Amino acid sequence: MKPNVKPEADDAAIDRILAAEEELIPSSGFLAATMERVREEAACPKPIPFPWLRALPGIVLGVFVLGWGGFETVRAGLSSARETSFAQPHLTAVNVHALEPVGWVAVALVVPMISWIFSRRIAGRSGLL
Amino acid sequence: MHAATSAEEDLADVDRVLAGDVRAFEGIVRRWQGPLVNMAWRYCRDRGRAEEMAQEAFFRAWRGLAAWRRESSFSTWLFALAANVFRTELQRFPAVNVPLEDVAEPAGPATQHDGLQEKQSHDAVRRAVLALPQRYREPVVLYYFHEMDVAAASRTMGLPEGTVKARLARGRELLRKRFPHLNQQNTPLLSSTLGPKKEVLQ
Repeated sequence: MKPNVKPEADDAAIDRILAAEEELIPSSGFLAATMERVREEAACPKPIPFPWLRALPGIVLGVFVLGWGGFETVRAGLSSARETSFAQPHLTAVNVHALEPVGWVAVALVVPMISWIFSRRIAGRSGLL
Repeated sequence: MHAATSAEEDLADVDRVLAGDVRAFEGIVRRWQGPLVNMAWRYCRDRGRAEEMAQEAFFRAWRGLAAWRRESSFSTWLFALAANVFRTELQRFPAVNVPLEDVAEPAGPATQHDGLQEKQSHDAVRRAVLALPQRYREPVVLYYFHEMDVAAASRTMGLPEGTVKARLARGRELLRKRFPHLNQQNTPLLSSTLGPKKEVLQ
């Protein structure tokens, strides 16, 4: 049965136990091991920063191509939708002709995407990423 | 006096390291290895892991030395960084501990001469700290690591003192509930032992 003691008394007991912890002395090799790790890191050449300046034209070009492709896709889609009526569910020769560029744009978008995914996978396997 | 000397030495060593002298970091490790290993030990209660975590903290300190803005003392910055490292490490690989309810409470009151039982009882309380929920565990660990200094614990955690006090009070309340006979067990020793400085928390 719990004796009639105040929480402060219990706190004093907890304080006494937790504050009176024995001090741990680091092992003899701790200093040497830590300094070895620091020296190894210091000896390593600094990582080569990503060449943003060189990559910039490529990034801009990529963004432009993607944007243009997206724009063309939407435009072609809208124009073909306008020409298609609900009463005429079958595609006419005119519709097919209008959709032709959309297919090419889609191919132009998908091929680089596959190429990018493939190259990332190869780089990932080799540990470069 | 000693603290002031240490602070000056820290400052000088930091300046030398930033100037490119890697060896100067050895002085910092030499001075702070004891506190950091002991702090890590209180977080995980595994000697090997404590040294690994302390080494990681020193390594991060070395890498981030330029980020120390000298607004606070070097020790404050180092402890805060170490606490962050220990917290992250334990989130990635938690210390093996048991739920608070499963920490065995000693069978009965210890007599004044029953040293072994008293030691077991103390070990159970210390293990129970690791079983506290994370938000209460860290204030308890750091409060006792900093010799019951709430201000120092709050600086290390980067939290307001009021928050640390509240969490500390809750953590101790959980421990009190888990060990209701603690005071009874320690009464003979409490009267004969001089405890460290006390601080009113509630």
